Amino acid sequence: MLAEIGLTCLLLAFIAAVYAVIAALYGARKHNDRFVNSARNAALLTFPLLLVSALVLLIGLLNHQYQIAYVWQVSNPSTPDFYRFTALWGSQQGSLLFWCLVMSAFSAAAITLNWRSNHRLMPYVIAYTMVTLAFFIGLSLFLENPFARYWILPDNSVVSTVLIPAGGVAPSSLRLAETARGLNPLLRHFGMIIHPPMLYLGFTGFVIPFAFAMAALASGDLTTNWIKATRRWALIAWLFLSLGLLLGGRWAYDVLGWGGYWGWDPVENAAFIPWLIGTAFIHSVMIQEKRGMLKTWNMFLVIGTFSAVIFGTFATRSGLIESVHSFAQSQIGTPMFLFWAAVTLVSVGLIVWRWNRGELKDEHAFAGLLSRETLFVLNNVVFVALAAAIFWGSFGAPILSELVLNTDITLGAEYFNNVTPPLFLALYILMGIAPLSAWGATTARSLGRALVVPLALTAVSLVVIVLLGTTSPGALLGYGVVLLAGFVALYETYRGAAARRRKTGDNLFKAALALFGRNRRRYGGFIVHLGITVIGLGVIGSTLFQVETQQTLQIGESLNLEGYTMTYSGLEPGQIADDGRIMDIALVTVSRDGRELATLRPRHDIYPPTAANEDPMVMNIAGAYSTLENDFYVLFAGGEGSTATFKIYINPLINLVWWGGLILILGTVISVWPTETLPAHARERSATIHRAGAPA
Amino acid sequence: MAQATWEKAASGTSTTQSTSRKRGHWKFLVGGLLILAAVAYLVISGTVGGARFFITVDDLMSSRAAYAGQLVRVSGAVIGDTIRYDRENLIIEFTVAHIASQNDDLAAALHAAVNDPTATLMQVRVENQVKPELLQHEAQAIMTGTFGEDGVFHVTELNLKCPSRFIESQPDQSIAEPQV
Repeated sequence: MLAEIGLTCLLLAFIAAVYAVIAALYGARKHNDRFVNSARNAALLTFPLLLVSALVLLIGLLNHQYQIAYVWQVSNPSTPDFYRFTALWGSQQGSLLFWCLVMSAFSAAAITLNWRSNHRLMPYVIAYTMVTLAFFIGLSLFLENPFARYWILPDNSVVSTVLIPAGGVAPSSLRLAETARGLNPLLRHFGMIIHPPMLYLGFTGFVIPFAFAMAALASGDLTTNWIKATRRWALIAWLFLSLGLLLGGRWAYDVLGWGGYWGWDPVENAAFIPWLIGTAFIHSVMIQEKRGMLKTWNMFLVIGTFSAVIFGTFATRSGLIESVHSFAQSQIGTPMFLFWAAVTLVSVGLIVWRWNRGELKDEHAFAGLLSRETLFVLNNVVFVALAAAIFWGSFGAPILSELVLNTDITLGAEYFNNVTPPLFLALYILMGIAPLSAWGATTARSLGRALVVPLALTAVSLVVIVLLGTTSPGALLGYGVVLLAGFVALYETYRGAAARRRKTGDNLFKAALALFGRNRRRYGGFIVHLGITVIGLGVIGSTLFQVETQQTLQIGESLNLEGYTMTYSGLEPGQIADDGRIMDIALVTVSRDGRELATLRPRHDIYPPTAANEDPMVMNIAGAYSTLENDFYVLFAGGEGSTATFKIYINPLINLVWWGGLILILGTVISVWPTETLPAHARERSATIHRAGAPA
Repeated sequence: MAQATWEKAASGTSTTQSTSRKRGHWKFLVGGLLILAAVAYLVISGTVGGARFFITVDDLMSSRAAYAGQLVRVSGAVIGDTIRYDRENLIIEFTVAHIASQNDDLAAALHAAVNDPTATLMQVRVENQVKPELLQHEAQAIMTGTFGEDGVFHVTELNLKCPSRFIESQPDQSIAEPQV
């Protein structure tokens, strides 16, 4: 019964989404509000329907309903309730349903909140969001149904089907529970628990700016209305995507046991590419808002971001690419590719149509090479170049080589390590300079003057870094460029706060707080830049100066590395955890200058096989002593008798990557936070006072 | 008349603006081309330096001379019984079997590969690496490395996919077996 309820809701959501598309387009064409309203109601209805559908699956997971094939595949009787909950997105079918739920939530919120203010765009916004939603629900319903159940046929074979097959009987619940698979151990980590939902929120969130942009093109309302309506949506999507990427990195660092957090894996790159194009878009829309420029470019960027989201999803979920992160091979590859191609072609076609009609002309020309708009465009170009280079390395070269040369060529980490650093450096330089230039035109002299203090601070910092022992020219160049961007963000915030203090007499802290309250977008943006700076320092330190060693130690024996002393204290084998895994825990103490700092417990988690023909799955869980200076990261390679072997990494500044991420999130939240709006009568009075007091 | 004078003046200004705009456009065009050239250079040189043939075990073993010393990427099915792990020196050795290129079901292809007595086999050696958790029987190994004169494939980068990740949509026949 449970599965039938979920299935019915999923089917109804699909019908509602399809109906919403037809009614919205018909209503827009006939200028018939009744149809548009009906389309809105149908679109809003998809959310509760999908919510019920997802809740049903969740209830199935929590109540051990193993006849539902998905529940059987991602949980078993020993799976803790917490992981049963997260198993909702632990595999293809559940995560597709979850994806649909998140997308419908975004769509419902955007439609409700913009219904009155952007009424003209709404029919098309409904049509675009619901086309996308209907497509994904369709995948879930027809190809990757999470409510398929196991049946035993008269010939004793087992099938998994949505509808009851002829002669099929339900397997015994006890046998189902005995054989259930359980959640992939790799997914049992805090980062992995919230990493996928964050990524899905980021991915699906970009549907909203895309739908508004397409609505603007379709309706002909090519003012900045669509940008104003979607700025926050784009930032929210960007925030979640950033969070998803950071958590994914943290998961890799903690669970995959190779001492790193980013391996230029195609699936990682598939999530990073929309982030890069989305970041370009977030910057670029400011130029259209302020100067009425880059109308076409912004359209291309928003299409590019959404297109990258769909392509990334296709690449990850279709089995197209080989990656430790990708889903199993699936039938959804071809429809997803066709959907991606259709969305991209239709969108570009709409732009070309409006362009030919002369409706996307810019209102101003570029005033000078150092104007803020020019530097923003340069920043955009570099972001897009980075995205294109990463796309080429991850997908372009392998696919093209197979099509043209009939051979598979892949590009490894060396490609990314050679191509991306110069482009990242260019981005940091632009991040430092652009905020100092003015809209319209800036002279080299005034820009130079504004740079004096940040440059001086950077120079002093570099001297300190050299005195601390870093002499590598490449590292110093990297640190210098990254620090400059950070100091510009800090200095500009300080200048704003100081100016406000002079004006109001408040202390500097109060003035800074007021500054953030008055212009959240600008100063929140500076905090984001500061976060990116801190991440940059962490990436340079942990990439260029990682030290590793390996050694076999007797109990009581020590090794020295980079000022640390690690002593092997003993082994606790065969510890049984609540979820049934067996842990072999090595105990090591870490000390420095004779002072004991921590006892680490690197371990092997052994997950017993769930089927007779399977091996147990062993995971290496690292132990780490973390400071801002570095991580002392220990992997237990194995032990026997009184000896154990360890692999140890010193990862300098790696924690700055996570701290920088937190700063970035804080800055984005500040930027997104709604500004208090005065009631209409107060606005009117305020405007009257301003007009009366305005200089002649 | 006043209008004519205004129009003339405006026309003159417009010509000057247009000339300066054109000059400005050239600057942007040259700048844009330079950026494009720099990015193209980075991508092309990166591609030339970083390209690896992604081949099968069959390809590599049948053309050892052609690939000798070259960094290549190979995919194979891990044979569990052959896995040897020297934990003191962090050396992993195992044998992989050729996986059929055309397969709709990778789990079945991996299973077939390790059980096919005629499948081409290749010995693999990985140094300086803790044994990865996914290195087990019937896992798919995607390895980057070089084929040595010793007849062993020396791996510098090892990625693995656990076979259990490929059976998500396949019903398990054990469900139908009587309870033990």
